Amino acid sequence: MFDRYLLKEDSLENVEVTGFKFQVRIAEYRGCFLSLHNGYYINIDGVEYPRELQKFEINGKPPRDFDEIKKACYEHWDFDDFGTVYVDCPGGLSKGKHRVGIMQSVFTQYGWMPHDEEWIHNPPAPGTVAGGKQHDIYYFDMEVK
Amino acid sequence: MGIKRGVSFYSYQQAQFFGEMDYHDMCRELRETLGCDGVEIINETTVPKYPFPTREFLADWHNTMARYDLTPVALDGFLDTLRFRDHVMTRKEAGELLKLDLQLAADMGFKHVRTMTGLPSEVIEWALDTAVKLDVKIAWEIHTPIPIKPDPTIQGLYCESPGTAVYDTVEFIKKTGTKHVGFVPDMGIFTKAPYLDVVEAAVRHMKDRKFAANVEAMMKEVPLAELGEAIEKKYPGRLSPQEKRSFAWKTVAQPEDIELILPYICSIHGKVHDMIEVAPGVYDDPSTMNAEVIEVLKKNNWNGYICTEFEGQRSRQDQGREHLADEVDQVRRHHQMLKRLIGE
Repeated sequence: MFDRYLLKEDSLENVEVTGFKFQVRIAEYRGCFLSLHNGYYINIDGVEYPRELQKFEINGKPPRDFDEIKKACYEHWDFDDFGTVYVDCPGGLSKGKHRVGIMQSVFTQYGWMPHDEEWIHNPPAPGTVAGGKQHDIYYFDMEVK
Repeated sequence: MGIKRGVSFYSYQQAQFFGEMDYHDMCRELRETLGCDGVEIINETTVPKYPFPTREFLADWHNTMARYDLTPVALDGFLDTLRFRDHVMTRKEAGELLKLDLQLAADMGFKHVRTMTGLPSEVIEWALDTAVKLDVKIAWEIHTPIPIKPDPTIQGLYCESPGTAVYDTVEFIKKTGTKHVGFVPDMGIFTKAPYLDVVEAAVRHMKDRKFAANVEAMMKEVPLAELGEAIEKKYPGRLSPQEKRSFAWKTVAQPEDIELILPYICSIHGKVHDMIEVAPGVYDDPSTMNAEVIEVLKKNNWNGYICTEFEGQRSRQDQGREHLADEVDQVRRHHQMLKRLIGE
């Protein structure tokens, strides 16, 4: 849900020369414990940027990679808050328009599921299964100014 | 006394997402427009820094309840079993999470915590002392496909024994004599047709636009309840499995079934997807047996809260802002219907 509104308009920009960042909301009707947040499928103009290249900034703390986020099981990502996704990409993105494909991976669910053990030991890569209430990769046209 | 009206702030999730309404605005809407007092919230949507809000938030919450003369009815909790990420949450850990919700509910003045559908008795037992101490009830939601009458053939997500989960909990209540365990039935178990917004979304997403136009034409002729079957008959095999699911519907409980659990009902989710005008100035949701269920409640002098749970926003969110659901208007229409059916 909220797929079309997941990214904040005009928030795609380069981060000095180390990469780029954009702001996101949670594609859910509620916030969640931060540890459930498993990263993003990110595809920019056909190039994928896997979870290992991503960091997430939330709750006034410095950006953390998703191995750190995984440990934040008492910290909450509130429904109202934008988080910032940082992506390593030396040189950043070229100025101008980009096609941005995003799928958020959040392990919110309604109680115990048959996949639980499997997802603890082998968490699915973002973009491979439905995460939270987002079921498909959503594409945005964004511009780096 | 009679049936009382309330709203789950779930209904206004989209307005909150876009920063158009916060809980103060929602509370004002309840008092000043809807003229009702029952409040239900989603814990992780309304409460900043859940599960440990600031004292400032709690003071503001109570002040807002007082300002608009509102009654906290239910706090909705969740069960994210992967939260610890190094192991699957155990039943006792789920009980600990429930204790946090019970404490939060007590701090915010709520009478019960609505928990996940089919919550195992082991989880309830682990948290029950806390519920008693705080005098906040544990009420799990009876959500489709879970029936009220035992039916072991029912399978589906949500819990281990969906077909007998209600019966099992009633047995637990009788065995222990507890006054702190019950249910929140969701009106979605009393369906009589598919949800219109879900059907419309399925048609909107059909790649074969000619077929979609044919289905749209049929929608004008065929009753909503019969639409799926009629399409299948006229165009065999044309609906994809996903599309078929959008047209499918199943009544999992009859209105009179609710009499079996009346003493244990803490509140009811007035699930609604599409409040359409069924006669000039008269609104109803074509998917749900609202009139029939409320009639049974009235006959039995049930006097709890029905809290509107508008859920028709999600299916439209693939579109631009101008096409999104008007949650405020949908809830107003739902309350117009509730007043009419309750006889208020």
